[in-house]
Amino acid sequence: MSQIILGVGDYGASNSPGEDVKTFALGSCVSVVLLDPKTRTVGMVHVALPESSINQAKSREKPGYFADTGIPALLAAMVKFGCNPKGKGMVVKLCGGANVMDTNDTFQIGKRNALSIKKILWKYGMGAVSEDLGGNFSRTVTVSVDTGEIILSSPGRPNWKL
Amino acid sequence: MTAKISHEDIQKVIKSVPLLSASANQLLQTSTDPDHDLVHIVNIVKTDATLTARVLKVVNSAAFGLINEITSLDRAISYLGERLIVGIAIGDCAAQLFDKQLKGYEGEHGDLWRHDLRTAIASREVVTQSSSKINPDLAFTAGLLHDIGKALISDFLQGTASEVLDKIENDEISDYLSAEEEMIGFDHPRAGYELALAWKLPGAITEVIRFHHTPSEAKEELQELVYAVHLGDNIAMMGGCGTGADSMHYKLDPNYTKFIELKPDVLANIMLVVNEEFDKLERSFSESGESN
Repeated sequence: MSQIILGVGDYGASNSPGEDVKTFALGSCVSVVLLDPKTRTVGMVHVALPESSINQAKSREKPGYFADTGIPALLAAMVKFGCNPKGKGMVVKLCGGANVMDTNDTFQIGKRNALSIKKILWKYGMGAVSEDLGGNFSRTVTVSVDTGEIILSSPGRPNWKL
Repeated sequence: MTAKISHEDIQKVIKSVPLLSASANQLLQTSTDPDHDLVHIVNIVKTDATLTARVLKVVNSAAFGLINEITSLDRAISYLGERLIVGIAIGDCAAQLFDKQLKGYEGEHGDLWRHDLRTAIASREVVTQSSSKINPDLAFTAGLLHDIGKALISDFLQGTASEVLDKIENDEISDYLSAEEEMIGFDHPRAGYELALAWKLPGAITEVIRFHHTPSEAKEELQELVYAVHLGDNIAMMGGCGTGADSMHYKLDPNYTKFIELKPDVLANIMLVVNEEFDKLERSFSESGESN
């Protein structure tokens, strides 16, 4: 079974049969999963922060790091697989965005990531059909290219599906 | 039902772990002395052939990308900076603890080292980017050792993670710290504190180990440092780098604002810098055969 492993700020896509797209240890980071039924393509971006304005140089080097540059970069990457450049027809799922306990506003980066991503998706006319966001635990996400099924895992818990 | 452990149980585990080497001890004491210079650090390392070799390996590792090899210890130490020298010494000596797979927390092999390294980097960034007067390298060193107690109690916690997470979910226990106390009668800051006393670590580092989850209980004159590591710990966990099932199941103390000013943009920048610095250091340490 081959896997595409994405790190923080990475994005990637696949339509190869038998392949998985995976990312590890989403704490406050959010994984945006785009499933295109027409081309059977799975795309994912591992977003760490909401806005690229804090570091434009980083957003040029690693656009996936920020929500506002990561989603356009993922959509552009998926065009190579024959997907619609604006994401039309795609199914969106979101995972991650956890926060530590009793957090104040400043430390709610997980929540701000999720909100920022939803705002950007809205501009494309997209919205998540399902999400596993928030909570106080980190998530590892594995998406099957064959079935589009998403399996989540976290230490101390049995795996679950989104 | 998990058995409660006693002070004697912890002391037994501590006795089974090698002490820090003379040079690691001296480096810790020297680096926390406000009047020291880099030359004092160089002189300690020079007396330890193994440590000297490690330092040279780290500085010349691919992760640092130096074009010309550094062969002089003075240059290597000057390039890496004091905190990395202390980090290498601690990582080497405490390898038995840092390498331990934290089965009691359902952690993976190497999780403790990675989390502590990331906390060290984050604690230092909190200090440097918030105009705190704390010595950044002290924050780094304290961050590196803050969770050492987990290696001592992990075995006693085996098999409890699932039950603890259920209880937290059902609001029967408030956080993982309370869970450790409920399960085995001892939490990891207390266990780490016992080790710090046995190793005669500097007072500031001992205080961080003891109170990094409850910084308001630390001695007043050390609270700013303890809060810095408290934030560094939380930042590391938010970056997905914890020690297993307990990750993110700890409370952030919002009273950090009394000592440390952190605007959301600054915090975002800290997270970015921590990510880059961590990637580089983790690679350089594992390339040179350090704890992983």
